[in-house]
Amino acid sequence: MERQKALLIVGSPKGLKSTSHVLGSTLLEKLKSGGMVAEEIIVGAALHSEESLEKMQGALEEADLVVFSFPLFVDQVPAPLIKTLELIAHRRAARRPEQQQRIMAIVQCGFPENIHNQPACGTMRQFAREAGFVWAGILAMGMGGFIGGRPLEKAGGVVRNVVKALDLAAAALLRGEAIPDEAAEIMGKPLMPRWLYMVAANWGFRRQLKKRGTRKQADARPYEA
Amino acid sequence: MNILILNGAPLNGRGAAHIIIRKAIENESAARGLNVTAFDLAGMDIKPCHGCFACWLKHPGVCAIRDDQENVLRAMAASDVVVWTTPVTFGGYSSELKKALDRFIPNLLPFFALVKGEVHHPHRYVRMRKLMVLGTLPVPSPDSEKVFRMLVDRNALNMHSTNTQVALLREDAVETGIQHAVKELFEKAEVL
Repeated sequence: MERQKALLIVGSPKGLKSTSHVLGSTLLEKLKSGGMVAEEIIVGAALHSEESLEKMQGALEEADLVVFSFPLFVDQVPAPLIKTLELIAHRRAARRPEQQQRIMAIVQCGFPENIHNQPACGTMRQFAREAGFVWAGILAMGMGGFIGGRPLEKAGGVVRNVVKALDLAAAALLRGEAIPDEAAEIMGKPLMPRWLYMVAANWGFRRQLKKRGTRKQADARPYEA
Repeated sequence: MNILILNGAPLNGRGAAHIIIRKAIENESAARGLNVTAFDLAGMDIKPCHGCFACWLKHPGVCAIRDDQENVLRAMAASDVVVWTTPVTFGGYSSELKKALDRFIPNLLPFFALVKGEVHHPHRYVRMRKLMVLGTLPVPSPDSEKVFRMLVDRNALNMHSTNTQVALLREDAVETGIQHAVKELFEKAEVL
């Protein structure tokens, strides 16, 4: 029997250094351990030329499962990933692979609350519907800034729920099922109290401004009329 | 009063209605004595956001990428009313509109603050503004429309919009229908 193919599409402009890649590739490793063949593509690189775009479209047509992993930008999917979704849907409107293909997504935002991710979750589900994929669900989390592109094993016990959610999702996907509600629920749990995340983030921003010597210009208004 | 129109229509068939929509918004603005600044984003050199945060930390308020977005940011800072027009794309905005919205980050401050019980970024500029969004659909789609309205609500919260209005039109809407919808939008938003 031919092995199932998984394709990870990373929608972060930071590519391999991104939290989106950390989360997506962690899931991909679990799928590979379960017997799947896996490949990964960075959106920025795919949109770079006609050739790389064609390569992505080809890999997508071959995949049984496509995993989109991306950060939230201004309440939504980042523009380059929307462009990618538009191109995929356009291609599939004319030519759709014979095999049934599943998609799932992972989204994380820098805000502490998971509610910010809701429109992006809706958009990915709507894309699946319009482009003719089987929707396998989405894992969404806040406080993505805490991971900051580090491997999950280096982020410590704070991310234990993220690891558990990815484990549950991978097991379900390997069985050919959608992501269980439990996985989505665990993924959405705050990594720490909101007040602590806010204090840490604001302290971090002030420290970075001081380090760069820009603290006094932090609230500059260069475009004020 | 300054009105900024961001036209997110792509350079393909889905953008046709937006030519009429833009004209209707310009006419309605002129009738109300507003100063209009309009950008057709599809033809502009606006590169994707790098997510580098240099606009917060390295040179606050100014993006590291120097392209046409600088003009959009300047107009945004000076606006009292903002209008976004877009084909509804999987319940969201077109990639053309979104490429500009992703680059609005310089107009925010990096710090976290509580707004209506949620964490958001405070605005760099004091001026408050109204938001009107016009989306077009090839056929009615309740699921898509629901996501779209939710997205606009979230953006309005982040923008601290003082009055937010949404209109959804068919891509094949006739000119008089578009003009009527635009007029209604201005009235609901109380753009006087």
